[in-house]
Amino acid sequence: MEQNSIPSTKVERAMRFVKTGAQIGGNYIKHYSKKMLDPSMTKEQLHEDNAEDVYNALSELKGSALKVAQMLSMEKNVLPRAYVNKFALAQYSAPPLSGPLIVQTFVKQFGKTPQQIFDTFNMQSTRAASIGQVHEATKDGQKLAIKIQYPGVAESIKSDLKLVKPIAFRLIGLSEKEFEKYIIEVESKLLEETNYDLELQRSKEISRLCADIPNIKFTKYYPEYSSNKVLVMDWLEGLHLEEFLKTNPTQEIKNQIGQAMWDFYDMQVHEQKAVHADPHPGNFLMQADGSLGVIDFGCVKEIPEDFYYNYFALLVPEILKSQESIKRIMLQQQIVSEKDDKRTQDVITDAFIRMTTLLSTPFVTDEFDFSNNDYIDKIYALGEEVTNMKELRESKEGRGSQHALYINRTYFGIYSILNVLGAKVKTGQRNWKQPLMDYHLNN
Amino acid sequence: MSNDLIKQYINHTLEHNKTPESVYLFAKAINMEEKEFYNHYSSLEGLEADIYKIWFENAYKTCADAEPWEQYSAREKVLAVFFAFIEEAKNYRSFAVYLKNRDLVKLPRWPKYLNELHEVFVDNMKPILSEAIGTNEIQERKYLDEKYVSGLWLNFLFVITFWLNDSSKGFEKTDESIERSVNLAFDLMGKSALDAALDFGKFLFQNR
Repeated sequence: MEQNSIPSTKVERAMRFVKTGAQIGGNYIKHYSKKMLDPSMTKEQLHEDNAEDVYNALSELKGSALKVAQMLSMEKNVLPRAYVNKFALAQYSAPPLSGPLIVQTFVKQFGKTPQQIFDTFNMQSTRAASIGQVHEATKDGQKLAIKIQYPGVAESIKSDLKLVKPIAFRLIGLSEKEFEKYIIEVESKLLEETNYDLELQRSKEISRLCADIPNIKFTKYYPEYSSNKVLVMDWLEGLHLEEFLKTNPTQEIKNQIGQAMWDFYDMQVHEQKAVHADPHPGNFLMQADGSLGVIDFGCVKEIPEDFYYNYFALLVPEILKSQESIKRIMLQQQIVSEKDDKRTQDVITDAFIRMTTLLSTPFVTDEFDFSNNDYIDKIYALGEEVTNMKELRESKEGRGSQHALYINRTYFGIYSILNVLGAKVKTGQRNWKQPLMDYHLNN
Repeated sequence: MSNDLIKQYINHTLEHNKTPESVYLFAKAINMEEKEFYNHYSSLEGLEADIYKIWFENAYKTCADAEPWEQYSAREKVLAVFFAFIEEAKNYRSFAVYLKNRDLVKLPRWPKYLNELHEVFVDNMKPILSEAIGTNEIQERKYLDEKYVSGLWLNFLFVITFWLNDSSKGFEKTDESIERSVNLAFDLMGKSALDAALDFGKFLFQNR
């Protein structure tokens, strides 16, 4: 059955969310009443119940809601593990479009059916992308991947985000004001993702810049068969992370892939100041010879200059030695504000410094072994501690720059992929710290 | 030739923002002998009714000639025809909107100019539906299955009306409405809770 269970109208979708909200409320009541009887009950049980309900709601929606599910699943530091496991499922499953609708989309865009354009065209989709699906085709002996967008995705994003709001309140404990700033950021990024023309252009820029990085592979796009709803590119061979690991690659190959990934991001962040901000496992294809294929350039985050200089400064231990610099950075990143009293400023600054010191561990060594689970667990633990901090919960201000949202997401994505991959990576090869030190310590 | 006549009729209507008032006036406007007109149609209404029918026939032919047609299930065939029909009608949307404003479609009734469309629709959909019963894609239900095609016709009228009121870019919403309404129709026609309910009702009735 294709597409029959997607609640179609806005009202229906709203109902879904309301229902989920009520269920989560119910789960809390259940949890606390059980806890009164059995004090040893952990919050894990509650999180699992909640994750189940939220996921069930989200999986019945498509498009942006699925996208939000994916995003939450990336924010491992914010979400407890139970949520993450559930949401990770969302990354691969979406009901397919019917065959005639695919034909219709082609006829509309190019005046021809896919069968007329390509030598072969598989009507069954092979991979689901969050806002579209991927089909296999051939032309002149070349195997192609064809990405087709679901109709009406761009339009439903705005209303979907409004619907997600109450869930996000509960899940992450964000205040309304805090949410505002981020929702604008998320919305603009999601809308960008529906613009396939933009994706084509960005993939060209990034693959040109990163052409010299060893073991990274990009795909070739065909602008003549692409439009704002359809993208045609060469088929990239390789396996997704989980399947790749089942082939038992050697440690050497794993390190090589991990290294390629690290270098790829180093180059984008520090040279191009624009980054492929969607590092979920579905966007990487790993090959037996140790090369890494990168697909899907829908989500690219441009890093503003002043944000770059302050955000990455927190990863440089030399800069953190200067109290003055710390204060300036905290203010610029909107983590503390002038309106906070001294004690609140100190507590929050201290928590963030502890967090970034932990997060920057891979950056300050020459080599880092990401297979170390203790490290990832420590990030979770501290992340939960920070989100539960009284000073932050009671704060009416939005904390942290909206640009940090996608940058954080990117790095958590990279860390967790490298962790699952079990790669040891030379992380200290690029000298990006000097310009930051010059910027902060010499003026 | 009748195709030409239709084109001229559509143009004439759109340029004057009203349909010709008599065969005489229309024939005069396009420099034709009135009796020549009667070789094709007996009245202007007859001509009007032919318009939607021709769009449908063109759409059906486009689908049936295209490669995936043979592999399609009944559900997909119906979807394909609906999509192709809207694509065909798009060329004359202004005219279709004009007709809609002149004679409103009020489900489950329809204006005269859709009568021929209704006939050709039923003729083409019936074989698809009976094939679907043969392959168990939809359920054979005594008396009720004769009404399937009427249900599908109402579905089709719904889609046409939806499209005529659609203001979304590229009529994306119409695509969605087709996908969803046809899927619903086939789910209802397929084996469903309805059969179990009927069966249970029969049991209760017989065993009171």
